[in-house]
Amino acid sequence: MQALRNIWFLALSTCTEGIRHRTLWAVVCLASLLTMANLGVTTLYSWDLGKVSVEFGLSAVAFTGLLLIFFLGMKILADDLERSRIFMLLSRPVSTWQYLTGKFLGLAMILLLATIILGLSAALSMRYVLWLYAAFVPPNFSWLTCIMALACQWLSLVVVLALSVLCFSFAKQPFVALLLAVCSYLVGQNMELLRRVVVENPQAGALAGQEQLVIALSWIFPNLSLFDKKYEAAYGMAFSGQEFVLLCLYAISYSALLLYLATLLFRHKEIA
Amino acid sequence: MTIPAIEITGLSKSFGSDHKKNQALTDLSIVIQPGEVFGFLGPNGAGKSTTIKLLLHFLKPDSGSLRILGHTVGQDEFRHRIGYLSEFPFFYDHLTARETLLLSGRLSGMTRQAIDQRLPMLLEHMSLTEAADRRVGGFSKGMKQRLGMANALVHDPEVLIFDEPMSGLDPVGRHQIKGLIAELKQEGKTIFFSSHILSDIETLCNRIGIIHKGVLLYSGGLRDFLVAGVGLEESFVRIIEEANRASFA
Ligand SMILES: Nc1ncnc2c1ncn2[C@@H]1O[C@H](COP(=O)(O)OP(=O)(O)OP(=O)(O)O)[C@@H](O)[C@H]1O
Ligand SMILES: [Mg+2]
Repeated sequence: MQALRNIWFLALSTCTEGIRHRTLWAVVCLASLLTMANLGVTTLYSWDLGKVSVEFGLSAVAFTGLLLIFFLGMKILADDLERSRIFMLLSRPVSTWQYLTGKFLGLAMILLLATIILGLSAALSMRYVLWLYAAFVPPNFSWLTCIMALACQWLSLVVVLALSVLCFSFAKQPFVALLLAVCSYLVGQNMELLRRVVVENPQAGALAGQEQLVIALSWIFPNLSLFDKKYEAAYGMAFSGQEFVLLCLYAISYSALLLYLATLLFRHKEIA
Repeated sequence: MTIPAIEITGLSKSFGSDHKKNQALTDLSIVIQPGEVFGFLGPNGAGKSTTIKLLLHFLKPDSGSLRILGHTVGQDEFRHRIGYLSEFPFFYDHLTARETLLLSGRLSGMTRQAIDQRLPMLLEHMSLTEAADRRVGGFSKGMKQRLGMANALVHDPEVLIFDEPMSGLDPVGRHQIKGLIAELKQEGKTIFFSSHILSDIETLCNRIGIIHKGVLLYSGGLRDFLVAGVGLEESFVRIIEEANRASFA
């Protein structure tokens, strides 16, 4: 019980700290403006307005989320170590896993908040575009699919966050952690593509015949492209509840695994 | 026989890898009984903070054992019974002093009511009442130091470990902390603190330990340490110089 309480207090204080940080609001405001720019951008296209608008909105969320993870999230994590704030927390009956999980959840809450705000502003601009050019509304367009796509976007951000916590727990320097996290994000983003190229194409250059390796890699790195549902949302394609639940489970179990690894690594780290 | 409050036996710690090894502590042993105020003295880089970080298991020892209140450090959970003030107290800049103390209290397993009861007294004691609802980011060094003190005392621990509690304080603040330590001594708490300020140690401590380049030069009663007729400062400088001469010889 005390374990859960500790996690909750840590998450809450991390979230409060983040919310009061100016970086968060600067990024979120900028991104809201960006989603509003949707209005300008879409009119440049003379076809498929609906699709462009929806994709644009969701991309804005993804991009902002990444900015928040890599700058705000990593900064909060790194400052804990660099400025020895961690002493204040770990000199109390708080174990490493509680500390890392609390931090992780707090940051995930910040991301959720940002996703909701940006989702709303994107939805407003999308609503406006779709209303203005009713002829371009995709035939099966559904807001439910859009919301589910948004939720998937958040899940993928959560996975990237867990990845950053892991990098942070073994890297000696915060900058290295940031770099590692960005790299694994890029790999994760392109994993599905690589897997397909190698598995479906026998002449895949250097990686030909290395299907096993690539498949193994695609299990190690998070398969982030699975969470990318922009296309479905834009074309109003069916997106089953079952797939959604599977994605949620994937994100949760993958993050839990990463946090577990992070705890193991962090235990061996000397904090000074 | 009572269980010692703090028991350090044969503690060694080095930093860095083989060829650039920096031996921070060598075979250090200290025993502190409950209710004692123990002053830990030493020049810069002597290994005071390293010892304290080892006591809190932030660092892992190369060899030797550390026990607090009879529990092995790093194995048993007893941290709700110790209060720690770090050398450079840092907090979450965007939380207020009250929120910081609330977080610490709750992480130490206190109930909300218990904290609410204790906070006004603590804030008053540390002259932070006016600043209680301001964000810690805007605090001065001295205010942070006092908040760190309040933070260490929130859960009313039995054993207190302070790393240079008076650094960065003005004479008034220093006087306050001295008063506080004397008060805690009255209450029967065990206090282990490091300091450079010899006069403070002289008035507060029963026993002292003197460490130099990671080696404990003296540990015992304050009275016994003072060479007849000279003050603590003189005796301290003398023992350090003697150790330096011995290491050059
Ligand atoms: N994280 C670290 N990595 C490498 N060496 C360290 C580290 N922390 C301390 N040291 C070394 O250990 C020795 C003891 O340092 P320590 O901080 O314990 O000194 P101190 O007695 O607290 O000094 P001060 O009075 O300046 O605070 C020093 O030689 C220092 O260089
Ligand atoms: Mg020190």
